Amino acid sequence: MQRIINALIQYRNPILYFFLLSCSILFLSKKSKYHKTQLETYGMYATKELYNLNYELLNYFNLKKKNEELLKENRKLKELHFKSNSLALYPNAFGEKKRFPFKLKEANVIKNSFLNQRNNLIIDKGSVDGIKNEMGVISKNGIIGIVNSVSKNYSRVISILNQEIKINVRLKKNNALGSMYWKGLNPLEFKIEDVINNVSFKKGDTIISGGMSSYFPYGIPLGEVVDFESNSQNGYYTINARLFEDPSLVNYVYILANEDKEEIKQLQENFKNE
Amino acid sequence: MNRKSLILLISFITLLFFQIFVFNNMNIFGFINPMIYLVFLVIYDFDSDQTLFILVCFLLGFSTDFFSQSGGAHTISTLTVSFLRPILIRNSYGVTSEVPVNFKADTRKINKYTFISLILILHHLIYFSVVFFSLSAIYLIIKNTFLTFIFSLILNVMVLNFYRKSDDS
Repeated sequence: MQRIINALIQYRNPILYFFLLSCSILFLSKKSKYHKTQLETYGMYATKELYNLNYELLNYFNLKKKNEELLKENRKLKELHFKSNSLALYPNAFGEKKRFPFKLKEANVIKNSFLNQRNNLIIDKGSVDGIKNEMGVISKNGIIGIVNSVSKNYSRVISILNQEIKINVRLKKNNALGSMYWKGLNPLEFKIEDVINNVSFKKGDTIISGGMSSYFPYGIPLGEVVDFESNSQNGYYTINARLFEDPSLVNYVYILANEDKEEIKQLQENFKNE
Repeated sequence: MNRKSLILLISFITLLFFQIFVFNNMNIFGFINPMIYLVFLVIYDFDSDQTLFILVCFLLGFSTDFFSQSGGAHTISTLTVSFLRPILIRNSYGVTSEVPVNFKADTRKINKYTFISLILILHHLIYFSVVFFSLSAIYLIIKNTFLTFIFSLILNVMVLNFYRKSDDS
């Protein structure tokens, strides 16, 4: 207490000055309309800046939540997008629900690699979230891989940066089928084989997913043709392709759950048994 | 009440009276009103208690405002100058050399005029800034400050000659 009083006595002149100054500014604003408006303008400016700062700070701290919301919204849009893309493969006769059997779930990538010959990812969704083996994993601009093993909260995904995985693709222009696999060095460079020789295309043509497997729907854009050569001996093209998006840099992915997978599997097994 | 205080009191009232009834209505060239009441800030003893000085100056500015129906510009500028006066004294008389007891007790002309000019310029600058109170009027503020300063300086030096050197008793 003594210290406070001492400080007050020591700084009595500035305190008195600022007190009287604020009194005079008060008189000024009371007495003169012009000064009142002018003061209010400055005050408004200061408040605006403060509120702006506050808003920006809050915004920054809310970014994570916003991100999640956007991801959810994106998932819905993506589902719609695939649905509309796949109409050609799932004709109207099937009825509304059966036309597009995929459901999307979003997930974060927590581990990714591209240095090995057989790369894996780990995502933060597991059996609790309804993830099962052999579900397809895609990102916003391409295919990432296929779920390989599932624990309670996490799943392992075989990356398409794996020379053993072959993905069923098409050329968007003429729907010619082929299968794509990783060359093994640059995460963007892929090779497509088994494209039949009698179709015509050129450099820069878009490659999309083929829809012939139960993992991925038809029509996900994957990459573009870099160059190609015709192999006259076996009657197939060999195409060098470049992906739109580097699978090793992906943070958010969507998992495709095919509702009809069991049914298709059953059919295939029946076929084998016969 | 000793003689010094009496002189201060009389100066206070007289300066206020002349300021309000004479110099506020001068309108030289239509807009220049010299400020004579700043003589009070000059003659007040340098070594006296500053708290009292700030209060008295507030009263002086407030009275001027009150009787000349201006908003609060005189109060704010006079108050600020009274608060900053020790700095002005140090700047005009030097830190190392001996600071006189009051304005009349010293004979160094340059220091005296520097002191008056500093007080007047600072006061006028704050006064016109408050009156116009807008950044776009910066040219007007500077023009008014400079012209009013010249007339105020002449008048203040004239009035200061009425005070005798023996006033320090």
